[in-house]
Amino acid sequence: MSDFINENPNVLDEAQLPTRNQDNDNDHYDVFQFQQSQHDNNGLCSLMASKRLSYILQDAQNDNTSSSILEDIDSMSQLIHLQSDFKNQRQASMDLDISMEDETEERQKIDPQEIYDLIAHISDPEHPMSLGQLSIVKLEDIKISDETDSPETRMKDLVIQITPTITHCSLATLIGLGIRVRLDRALHPKYRPTIILKPGTHQSENQVNKQLNDKERVAAACENEQLLNVIRKMLSTCK
Amino acid sequence: MKLTLKKSLGAHDGSVWSLSVKKNEITGHPLLLASGSSDKQVKIYSLTSDNYDLYETLDSSVHRKTISSVSWRPNTLNEQLILASSSFDTTTSIWGKEPTDSDFELLALIEGHENEVKSCQWSHNGKYLATCSRDKSVWIWEADEYSEEFECVAVLQEHDQDIKNVAWHPEQLMLATSSYDDTVKIYIPYEDDWECVSSLEGHEGTVWCSAFEAGLNTDSTRLVTCSDDSTLKIWEMIHDGTDDNEGQIWEVQSQLPDYVHSRQIYSCAWNDKNGLITSTGADGKLVVYKEKGQRGSGEWDVVAELYDAHNEYEVNCVIWINENTLATAGDDGSINVWSLSD
Repeated sequence: MSDFINENPNVLDEAQLPTRNQDNDNDHYDVFQFQQSQHDNNGLCSLMASKRLSYILQDAQNDNTSSSILEDIDSMSQLIHLQSDFKNQRQASMDLDISMEDETEERQKIDPQEIYDLIAHISDPEHPMSLGQLSIVKLEDIKISDETDSPETRMKDLVIQITPTITHCSLATLIGLGIRVRLDRALHPKYRPTIILKPGTHQSENQVNKQLNDKERVAAACENEQLLNVIRKMLSTCK
Repeated sequence: MKLTLKKSLGAHDGSVWSLSVKKNEITGHPLLLASGSSDKQVKIYSLTSDNYDLYETLDSSVHRKTISSVSWRPNTLNEQLILASSSFDTTTSIWGKEPTDSDFELLALIEGHENEVKSCQWSHNGKYLATCSRDKSVWIWEADEYSEEFECVAVLQEHDQDIKNVAWHPEQLMLATSSYDDTVKIYIPYEDDWECVSSLEGHEGTVWCSAFEAGLNTDSTRLVTCSDDSTLKIWEMIHDGTDDNEGQIWEVQSQLPDYVHSRQIYSCAWNDKNGLITSTGADGKLVVYKEKGQRGSGEWDVVAELYDAHNEYEVNCVIWINENTLATAGDDGSINVWSLSD
């Protein structure tokens, strides 16, 4: 164990990590549509309402200028109530999503938050903290290609930039490998993760990037029992 | 032209990395297709009918890790079948079957590399087997006629990084090796040794594979290479170096059409009869190229292309079975056989 020097200014508490509440993308719509098609008449109205309100809440959270909506305490408590409904329903639809996948291999769109949730809880190989807490992985550094980019293929590109804690971090490759193994196991194969170091954050950036994205080297590394044990340990804290 | 899926063989429980076709020595008809996979197995399929029946699965207790490469030995005695298969476990195994035998037998296990063997291939005359590894070396082995004794005749250490692929010229003793160091090196036998006569530099990423053009009676020697940089280049030997001992000089003659592939290109193959080139890779695309006009014009068109050749999985290998049939191997564990028609 080396001394802990974190050049990232903030070490985050687990509770501070970005979660579903804060994200602001529009993929929820798909998930809800999907659920509706599964349960045609089941609480459709409240579903639509909660969806609409959750957007309002997101807008409110992401845009300080529209905070007027939060001034009304009544509407705020209503929003919070519906927000929790929203989360439960989303969870249900995700469970459904997974069971559907087994049968039809179809899968709904995923968003950066879902990727983040998969990898943020991976343990750092050196420090008793997660990659999310150390800001080695950040929500804003996860990008998923838009469907419209490549209409001919079902494959989707996924780019994750990682920020090592120090520029000479000898374990950057191991961290990247842990992320890759986690994603390979958890994601549908149509997602093609490219894992790179955030530009300027590591002195051997190109070397590390090349290794992390060489499928043959990754495949060989995954047959190395010793290395695999280290990765297993890193992934044991995933939720 | 059009690519149509002829048959999909759900061959393996893991990525399929490599394919090799055994042809009849006299008629040239394809007989058998071998495949190597992450599931540590080598499977052999019959190519004599359109059923592509499983012919044999080799004893999977021999290799402890991924089978990276398979290669049939050409020019064997008495219709003997000989297959080499290399593995991430550092060894290369040699399998043989006499026409009277019921199964393939392990004839030899070749050791020498320090870590994963990435590729193996027999020379056109069946005399030499080349292997390459992450240990940055290429070994050339001379085999006896029974494929039981292997003598290492050269250890070539020209590359700075791991070597992804070895490819022999289909008609002469010339070897090309592709590497993680972004270069391709060319070797020929010289006196009692093997000599690196050229280094092909131009790709901006790992070179995954190369293939020579067939044809000795033509005035040029050409090689196609494919890379992580999503391009394919065709190199031409413009000076053979035999007169002045200065080594061979190779130049990029053409780059195959840009933006055809969007990700790493893992495999390319040059058809020895009709001169068509095919490529595939991480974007799952299978592409066929044809040279415009006369052979050697250096201008190439895409004549057939197909997305998601293995659904949403990456494709690791493509080979020609004959002039109008191709086989691809994917991360989905399957082998797909394609027919190319007008």
